[in-house]
Order: sequence, then structure tokens, then C-alpha cells
Amino acid sequence: MDDVAVADAAVRFTEVSVGYHGTPVLTDVNLELVPGQRLALIGPNGAGKSTLIKSILGLVPVLAGTSTVLGRTPAQARARTGYVPQTDSLDADFPVTAGQVVMMGRYRRIGWWRPTRNADRRAVHEALDRLGLADHARTHFGVLSGGQRQRVLLARAIAAEPRLLLLDEPFNGVDAVSQEAIVSVLRELSAVGTTLVLSTHDLTVAHELADAVCVLNGRQWAVGPPDETLTADTLRRAYGGHAVELRDGRTVLVEP
Amino acid sequence: MIEPFTVPFMGRALAELALLALICGPVSVFVFARRLSFVSDALTHTVFPGVVIGFLAGGIEGIVVGALVAGVVTAVVLTLLSRGGALSDDASTAVVLTAMFSIGVVLVSRRSSYTADLTSFLFGRILTVTPRQIAETAVLAVVILGLLLFSARALIFRTFDPAGAAAAGFRVAWLDLLLNIIVALVVVAAVRAVGTILVVALLIVPAAAARMLTTRLSLMAVIGTVLILVAAYGGLLASWTASVDYGISLTSASAVVLLLVLAYLLLLPLGALRSRHNRGRIVSDARRSPHELVG
Repeated sequence: MDDVAVADAAVRFTEVSVGYHGTPVLTDVNLELVPGQRLALIGPNGAGKSTLIKSILGLVPVLAGTSTVLGRTPAQARARTGYVPQTDSLDADFPVTAGQVVMMGRYRRIGWWRPTRNADRRAVHEALDRLGLADHARTHFGVLSGGQRQRVLLARAIAAEPRLLLLDEPFNGVDAVSQEAIVSVLRELSAVGTTLVLSTHDLTVAHELADAVCVLNGRQWAVGPPDETLTADTLRRAYGGHAVELRDGRTVLVEP
Repeated sequence: MIEPFTVPFMGRALAELALLALICGPVSVFVFARRLSFVSDALTHTVFPGVVIGFLAGGIEGIVVGALVAGVVTAVVLTLLSRGGALSDDASTAVVLTAMFSIGVVLVSRRSSYTADLTSFLFGRILTVTPRQIAETAVLAVVILGLLLFSARALIFRTFDPAGAAAAGFRVAWLDLLLNIIVALVVVAAVRAVGTILVVALLIVPAAAARMLTTRLSLMAVIGTVLILVAAYGGLLASWTASVDYGISLTSASAVVLLLVLAYLLLLPLGALRSRHNRGRIVSDARRSPHELVG
């Protein structure tokens, strides 16, 4: 049964509407992601990017349409889905070390109160090491830079060994060094079959990292390869006229 | 220094406070980390009418049952309020707090021994603690520490990152209810000894003071417990000495709380030093990290 799920789409949303308390935030979503695919969600603030990510996690209800994640319902698939929240949604004063944060990625396996095992500690060390933070395991999370914190959160998701990884604005307030480290790990994960969904404001990153783009603003405006979706026309419609085309054929956004 | 505690009622007072220290140290860490200080304050006040009703119905022994019912009901109500987003406004907590507290005062004022009763409910009677009460506190302590040990990992995850915990399959609403019930149980355990007002100090000050010394949660719990133990010993000794040697009446529970607050004040400068040190580390980290990555 697992093998069927592997061959199946990682995410399949058909004519989906999602929202809170019966009021849709996002409509007309049609997605079909194969394992290893890298999807970027593009759209202005309040477009519904975070809501879509949470609906793939089964945390925001699907109001209409059909949705499967890893061959199951979103909530059932949560055990094999990883999530990287926005760094600034966390309490930086919370007394916890980088290593302890990454260990949270193992909590689902460990359960409520079984002691941690060597395999858990090894997974934590390896995840930190992949993101260049092996020396920071005992560093207080709050004293790390924004980029380092984001890398810790990605390490936490990796430690859970997910088949589908959802990232909410992973490059917000992140320095160039951290961004490079994150992008290279995301490429490695995709190469071994982990499906990625990430929301971003950064069209350049979307162009370079993603092999599919979904343009959103209240509804899905376009989905497909970056070259076909990140066009001035689509972006202008989704953003309401604040898109400008550059000379090299790329498109850049000017926020009002 | 030991001698006053060979007197039975002093020994029992110290034993009761030691049990409370054991539970309040760890629980205060979660109250601190979840920023539940005001919710804890609300719980201590809403337990008050339960204490009064329990006393009216069943005398001294009825207090625990009344407090237990009131505490659990408030824990549920506060959890539901915060889920609806209503509690983002402190006003609704304050309304629940004052309404319940007023009901308690109305009920207690119908009795002829009004002031004496009110005082003992509000400030406790640490020096008249009975062996049976100590046994009951011990049972509650086992229940509270058991719940805390069982759920600590999930509670820490939820406190640090609610969205991440929900995404990892933890039920955030149930965890919130569990922590509120744990706090309510602490209030119930402590109410006869230190009263509904002073128990707030045991739930808030230990972790706040321990935070000045460490950033490790487990160490904060241990330091919090030690601080209460020291304050309990010192406070009881001070009130004994004041009344036996100098004829001054110094309420024991108040002396304990005052010492606890004094410890907090003494540790404040250390906390300031620590955070200045940490700010320095952020700078050095930022300077070092690119080389680490390249190398």
C-alpha cells in the first residue's frame, strides 16, 4: 500500500476551496505534484499562501473540492509531512537550545514520554550538520541570527525525515550565507524524492529553485513551470498592477 | 535554627511548604514560558467561590472538593475563551476573575465570622495544617508531577511553536486545557496553606527568578523549587523569631512570599548582566558564521 502511495501524486488538489469558519480564503486551487517536485507559492501578502500550506497539513479545512496528500487525507498524511514555520512567529526569548529545537522534529517518533534514543540524537546531529550548525547544538535559540534560526527550523523538519516538506517564507530576513545553505539542502532533499512546497516573495528564488510555480491571490491565477507562470501579465493580474518586466525577460515586483 | 521546627505545627508547616515547593517549581516554569501569569491569577481568584461553597457545605474538609470543582470549571472556561480568540483581550479574563471573586465575597459575607473566614481563605492558615491536609497535598503533588512528566515534552513544543506542534500532530487545544488544569490543581493544593492570593506568588516568582540564573528549562524548575524551599524555611523562621523573641506578629505565609520576592529582586541584576552578555554573543556569532560555513 505504501508503494502505491509513492507512485501516486504527493499532493493532488482538485477544484479546492480553503478557508476558516466556512468562509473561503482561497478558491480554484488545482495542484498535482509528483514526488521530488519543488513548488513555489507566489502572491502578495494575504493572498492565501500560508492558508494553502496549512490546508495541505490538514490544519485549515478544505471547504470544497477533493484533496489528497501522499495518497491520503491531509490530516492522515501529517505523520510524513514536515513543516517549517516563519521564524518570526516564534518566541525568541524561549529558553531552548538549537539542539532541543531540532529534537522537537523527533517528538512524533519518540512519543509523549519515552526517553530519547541514540538514533534520535544522531538524527539531530546530522540535521544540524547538514545546515552547517553542528557547533551550535548547545547555543540558545534566541541568540542565533535570523538566518541561523531558519536553518535550525529546517534542520528540525529534516530530523523528522518527511516525504513532503512545507516551508512558509523560508527566506524572509535571511542572510545570503543562510539562504545558500537552505537552497542547497532543499535541492538535495528534492533529488532524493522529497516533495517541496514553499511560499516566497522572492521571484528570483522561485525562478532558480522551483520547477513549478503557483500564483495566488484569493484564487489560483496560474500554475505551471516558472517560465510560463512568472510572466508580467499573470503577475500584474494577481498583484493588481504592481508588476514590472525587466530587460532580461525576468519579472520583478514593485510593492505599492 | 532547626529548633523551632521541632515544634509539631512548625514542622508540619515546613513539610506542607516543601511539598508545594516540589510542584510549584516545575509548574511555574510553564506558567512563565506560556506567559500565563494573568491566567494563573484569574484561576486563584475563581477558585475562591469554590472554596467558600465547599466550606459552607462541608466545613474545612469540603474546601478541597469545592476548590477542585471551581478550578477545573475555570480551566475549561478559560481554555474555551482563549480558543475563540476572546482571551487575546485581557478584559474577558479580568471579567471572569472579578465576577467569580465577588460571588465568593458575597457568599462568605453571609457568615457571622465574616472577616476571620475571609482572611483565612485569602491568606491561608499555614500554621494549622493537619497531617491529613499534608497527605492530601502529597496525593495532589503526585498527580500534578505525574501529569507534568507525562506531558512536558508536548507542552514545551506547544509553548515554543504552536503551529509547528499542531503540524506535528499534537492537539494544541487539549494541551492548553491540560496546562490550565495542572495550574488549577496547584491552586487547589496550595489554597488552605497559603490562601488564594499568595499562591499566585508561588506560581509566578520562582521561574521568573530562576530565569535570571539559567536558560535551561529543567534547571529553572530545580532552582525554582530550591528558592521556594529557602523562602519557606526563612519565612517560617522569621515569623517564629519575630513573635517568640520580639512579640511582633508576622504572618508566616506573607513572610515566605516576601522572602521569595526578595530573592527575585536580588537576582534581577544577574539577569541584566546575562542579557547584556547574550547581546554580545549575537554580534560575535554574526561575525563568525560566514567563516564557519566557508571553512
